[in-house]
Amino acid sequence: MFVPIKLKKRDGKIVYERENVKKILPECEIIVNPVEPINLPKNITRFLEIDFSPIVIKPNGVETIYLKFPIEIGVFAKDSDRMIVIDVFAFEKPKFTLYGDPKNGVVCRWFQSDVYYEIPEVDPSKHGVLKLVIKNGKDWAEVGKVVLDCYAMKIYYDKFASCWAEMKILSKISAETTFVDKPIAEGMKKAAELYTTRRLMGKSFIMEWGLI
Amino acid sequence: MIEINGDRIEGAILFAIVVALGIIVARVVSMNVRRSLAEKVPANELNLILKVVNFSIIAIFALIALPFLGVDLSGLIAAGGFAGLVVGFASRSVVANLVSGIFLLVERPIKIGDQVKVGDVAGFVEDIHILSTIIRTYDGLFVRIPNEKLFTSNIVNLIVNPVRRLEYIVGISYKDDAEKAIEIIRGVVEDHPFALKNPEPTIFVDELGESSVNIVVRVWCPSSVWFDVKTELLWKIKIELEKAGIEIPFPQRVVWLRRDRNEPGKDVPA
Repeated sequence: MFVPIKLKKRDGKIVYERENVKKILPECEIIVNPVEPINLPKNITRFLEIDFSPIVIKPNGVETIYLKFPIEIGVFAKDSDRMIVIDVFAFEKPKFTLYGDPKNGVVCRWFQSDVYYEIPEVDPSKHGVLKLVIKNGKDWAEVGKVVLDCYAMKIYYDKFASCWAEMKILSKISAETTFVDKPIAEGMKKAAELYTTRRLMGKSFIMEWGLI
Repeated sequence: MIEINGDRIEGAILFAIVVALGIIVARVVSMNVRRSLAEKVPANELNLILKVVNFSIIAIFALIALPFLGVDLSGLIAAGGFAGLVVGFASRSVVANLVSGIFLLVERPIKIGDQVKVGDVAGFVEDIHILSTIIRTYDGLFVRIPNEKLFTSNIVNLIVNPVRRLEYIVGISYKDDAEKAIEIIRGVVEDHPFALKNPEPTIFVDELGESSVNIVVRVWCPSSVWFDVKTELLWKIKIELEKAGIEIPFPQRVVWLRRDRNEPGKDVPA
């Protein structure tokens, strides 16, 4: 993966450069990893909506599917256990949508994915893989979208970024989505997060304006 | 010398009991007011409200209890009534603003930081006081609006809903292909990150105007970036239409002239 950043050492400092961004850092560790895709062009939401071809699930059925999701790349400076974000960039152009109605809905980062039943190949600079476990209730259900709260997103990465989420269907039009803090494959490393401090604000999201 | 007899002692005790009851009621009411307004009202204003509530209740109970001390309230009521009339007239607008301020705090049509339009004033809500509301206009001016005026005005809160729609009318010349223009505009809109995917943008020929075919472009975008999108998108549409050779015409009128047969060479209005 080509990362368009330059790091130069000058007078005992590190000069970080990317396009129009230039920052002078003290001697420290630089970490580059995938981060929550809600920062660009600017942070206006905490939610990610992924649309996919609707799948029909039997009563009490459990489906595990894989979806692609957009990623952004975060650059962090680290010293001892403390980190600060230096820069965030992305290779994928973002698009936003509204989940719900114009009065009560939520603005979400939007992405369209195909449905896969095993881990798909992805362009690791643009996309990650989301493992989505859908647990159905007592009735038939049709699901064509998932909305996730990225403040609770747990990204793991190796050759590509990934995360794991669960969707518990509550009714024909509502579901609860939660991130699972586990890698989808062995040997993956946990990514540094941008929103760890806001974790207390809730880990799950209730989709109450439809599942298609 | 104070005359001490049974009636006086009994009256004093009753007065003390009623006032004590008033203090207890005032404390309970103050506690509830504090609890319900703690997150809605700034601390300094909350203290003022609590003091007003506290002393008003105690004063009411004390007035009720005064007859137990043998105080005749009829004179006091007459004097108080007259004084109240004078004070009432003098402070009518203050009370109106105060009451409006309380209603605004309870109803909460606006919050600090919201972008609002009140009459001909538009800008950011900087502060909501008990008597007035402060607006910082987009050009940086400080505007104080009395709460009574704010409460009785039409308040437009520009960001209370998560999304807003913007609309342009793009005129193209009659010789150009409107379908192609719509396709180009749709491409520009879809390319903009904050032009929302849902609700879908709508782009259609709305009117065959005097000088142009008018295409309406309606796009939903997040309220927080509405103005940015509005300014960026229109210019991008103009550039892309021009790149495709589609003309955005000036207003024009075709004027026909005819020559008068009797006086060759002389033009007359048609």
